[in-house]
Amino acid sequence: MNRRSLLKSTALAAVASLSFLGMAHAENPVLKIGFVGVTSGPAAAWGISNQRSMETRAAWLNELGGYEIDGTMYDIEIVAFDDQKDPKRAIAGMEKMAQDGIHYVVGPNVDDGAAAVRPVAEQNGIMYFPYAFPKELYTAPASNAVLGMVANYQSGPAIYKYLMENNGVKKVAFVAANESDPLSQRDGGVEAAKALGMEVVSDSVTYQVDTTDFTPVLLPVIQTQPDLLVLSGVSPANAPQLIRSARELGYEGLISTETAQDATVLQEGAGELANGFISVGGASTPELASDAMREFVDRYTKMFGEYNDESNTKVYALEYILETIKANPAAMTDVEEFKKAMDTFEAPNPYMVGDAKLSYVGSTSFGQKRQVSVPLVVNVFKDGAFETLFVAQVD
Amino acid sequence: MNTNRLIGVGAFLIAVFVIVPLLIATSGRWDFYYTLTSVALLAIASAGVWLTFYIGRINIGQGAYALAGGYVSAILVTKAGFNFWVTLPLAGLFCAGLAVLIGLPILRLRGVYFAMVTLVLTEVGRLSALALPVTNGAKGITSIPLPGELSIFGLTLIPDFATLQNPKLAFYLAAVFLMVACYAALYRIVNSRLGHLCRSLQQNEELSASIGVNTAYLRVLTYSISSFFGGIAGAMFVAISQSIYPSSFQVADSVNFMLNCFLGGLGYVFGPMLGTLMLYFGWDLLFTTGRYQLLIYSSLLIILMLVLPNGVLSLFERKGGRK
Amino acid sequence: MEQIIANGLYLGAQYALIALGLTLIFSLMNVLNFAHGQMYVLGGFVTYTVVSQFGLPFIVGLLASAAILAAVGAAIEKFLFAPVIKKSKREESTMLLAAGIAFFLDAVILLVFGEKQRGVPKILNGVLNWDFRIIMPYDRILIGVLAIAMIAGFILFMQYTKAGRAMRALAQDRMAAELMGVDVKRYSMIGFALGAMLAGLVGGLLVTITGINLGMGGPTSIKAFMMIMIGGAGVISGAIAGGFILGMMESIGLTLLAAYGDITYLVIFASLMIFLAIRPQGLMGKPWG
Repeated sequence: MNRRSLLKSTALAAVASLSFLGMAHAENPVLKIGFVGVTSGPAAAWGISNQRSMETRAAWLNELGGYEIDGTMYDIEIVAFDDQKDPKRAIAGMEKMAQDGIHYVVGPNVDDGAAAVRPVAEQNGIMYFPYAFPKELYTAPASNAVLGMVANYQSGPAIYKYLMENNGVKKVAFVAANESDPLSQRDGGVEAAKALGMEVVSDSVTYQVDTTDFTPVLLPVIQTQPDLLVLSGVSPANAPQLIRSARELGYEGLISTETAQDATVLQEGAGELANGFISVGGASTPELASDAMREFVDRYTKMFGEYNDESNTKVYALEYILETIKANPAAMTDVEEFKKAMDTFEAPNPYMVGDAKLSYVGSTSFGQKRQVSVPLVVNVFKDGAFETLFVAQVD
Repeated sequence: MNTNRLIGVGAFLIAVFVIVPLLIATSGRWDFYYTLTSVALLAIASAGVWLTFYIGRINIGQGAYALAGGYVSAILVTKAGFNFWVTLPLAGLFCAGLAVLIGLPILRLRGVYFAMVTLVLTEVGRLSALALPVTNGAKGITSIPLPGELSIFGLTLIPDFATLQNPKLAFYLAAVFLMVACYAALYRIVNSRLGHLCRSLQQNEELSASIGVNTAYLRVLTYSISSFFGGIAGAMFVAISQSIYPSSFQVADSVNFMLNCFLGGLGYVFGPMLGTLMLYFGWDLLFTTGRYQLLIYSSLLIILMLVLPNGVLSLFERKGGRK
Repeated sequence: MEQIIANGLYLGAQYALIALGLTLIFSLMNVLNFAHGQMYVLGGFVTYTVVSQFGLPFIVGLLASAAILAAVGAAIEKFLFAPVIKKSKREESTMLLAAGIAFFLDAVILLVFGEKQRGVPKILNGVLNWDFRIIMPYDRILIGVLAIAMIAGFILFMQYTKAGRAMRALAQDRMAAELMGVDVKRYSMIGFALGAMLAGLVGGLLVTITGINLGMGGPTSIKAFMMIMIGGAGVISGAIAGGFILGMMESIGLTLLAAYGDITYLVIFASLMIFLAIRPQGLMGKPWG
């Protein structure tokens, strides 16, 4: 067995890389923030936009000389782990973070990963910011997870209500991929639509994520003649194809989703057929974006070649972590202090114009403040760009 | 068993049960416990796949059994209030039974056909978990309690994991213990009459059937043992993550189990263990390379294959040596 | 009903073309090419780059995909598969190599083309609407026809050219073909290149309709495996039949089982397993592949 030598060489490699990193930032102490998510394979797009948002912001702060907490300037270092969308690897990633002495982690990106890392996070005193919606992650007795975005059971009702009132939508149909996250979101959406008094005409049609032709999938749905077609938890890869197939089948009603999408992808994949498509975005519509948001987009584009609109939402988690630690410096090594600070935390939101605030919300959905407050921006796609349909707040 | 081999086994046991924990304690790399626990558990599932290779079948369906085992344990613990340690063998037995039902028809297939059917089986497993009511569908089963105390006549055999100072170490020891037990069983099987018969199947099924070997029975038996391994590995994983989803074990896992066997070497009982260690640990070690991780990992895999197409253990093959 | 058949035919044509390449490689070298789906994805990205980034006509993109993938395929066979097959004791060992190549291509595609979904603009606008009985966009019809034409072209190539005959001989009996003076090394390489080229061509064709993203590789391989299992591994007519059957099954299954939703694919996959258990060599395969 060469397990021993493996261990030794790993330890050596770890020490070497640590000391190397230490030299690179000799002046400021380093504050490490973790990321555990999927950055390779089929779902790579989710995690990559996440990781790049964090790296862009960290590089920006470091360029300005660091981030000031309690009178000390800290360089921010992002430690990223690729979990390959495998919950077993996500646990390993969380263990790595604990090993590195990291207390704040962004991710994982999917339900099963977020549920799997919970024991590790709680045992090691790690706060994590998943992009997964299961309520039990955020309701007591769980207390270490903070939802990093607006959940579908929050955005869905808002969108349906708006469309009922403004477009006279009565009949709604749901389509979802046959995977955990989309199916859960579909069930949540159906519930919300029924609660609003809408008629759900179709909610059983599912598809494989690798479908290359959605016409047979959508045919039975379109035949039920809904006014609104909801693509539950649709991935950016499938959205344009679904839209295109629905329109080509002669569907003329509205199409919406509760996940964030990318304008370029929609434009390339569906062109003008995607006009009128309603989705949830972040805070970078031209009306809402502050100068800081525009600079962030510029820097991201410079660093990685191309911006991803999904990052509009994903820019926030790191900001919340840093601002909260700043508000209560004891939180740097003690997440209990972080939790204390969460209840009263408030700071200006740099990415939105006006006097918008960063604060923790979620009391209505989870009974405790375990969600970052980001504006719920509902977009409509028009000729290659998103326009703001309406903006709402989650409490 | 000669003295050399005895010393080897002893050294291995000391290494995994004493030296590894000591090394981790001195180096402070606590995260290795989970990595090594994973390796041990995945090695158990891979051992099952290796056993099906031994009868000349390429098994890419072990993920389905790991998933089934995980669900059996999770459901028994959360809905029927069973002790986890009781569900562990039950999960294995359930999978063995399931394997008999599935294996009877599909074990008639050979070569790539069997491989492909088992690959589809993994996907069927995932879709069944989504569709069946008992599995709680897409929402998965979460907040599963840690393994409880196991005692016989008031004598505590295994303490309640929730009360332990260091559940990581406990999981590591449990997983390694299971692994040792499984590989001992595997070694025993391979060197028994059953093993000889299996080898005859691998060589030529018609020929062995013609000399009176009950090939159908033998195939189903080995396949169900193989699935038993998959089931207990899956159940143990669920105890660690305290949650299970339909995607907890998927096609990628099934493929990896198979790759572990190839990498270690199909001709060696301990091949899958070494293969798992290298594949899983390799990925973890490359974690510092960031975006080039997959590129480096796959390049190393290809190079390894070019240099040692018969598995890593073929390096140690001596002329005339058997294992 | 007409719509279901039209959908099935369109799906079937593209599936069959994917399966053809896979089955060709399998019949020649007994290699189950796990990287087939990744080759398809690579082909799609090449066409995308040529059409959307360089602004060249679609046909140029398609030709570029074919050429690049053929080169990649030939290189993979010559430098990777051939030496490993020569040295390994069990020919299944090539599966690890194929999987390694699949990972490798995934990594390269991610680094070179990025993680986003990509697509090229429609090459043809408008929708055929035959009295609401068949609704089919013109670009789909065009792609379907092109796919069928390529299948026909491939069959003609295999039937009537020297290389085609040599490859069929190889597939039938490697030893005999070698004894009859067929250059095994050369035709193995050509066959692999041809298989990879077919995968690249489908990728290029479909990028105009379904677009392409890095995640499509693995699932595409698995689908292609299923098709060649239905038809019989290593048999060209079997791959075509398998492709059309799977296309029809999906089209019909999705319509009939729509009300039961979640179980549609479960039923499709389970019936496939049952079919194979009853007929282990597929529709037209040699027993025991």
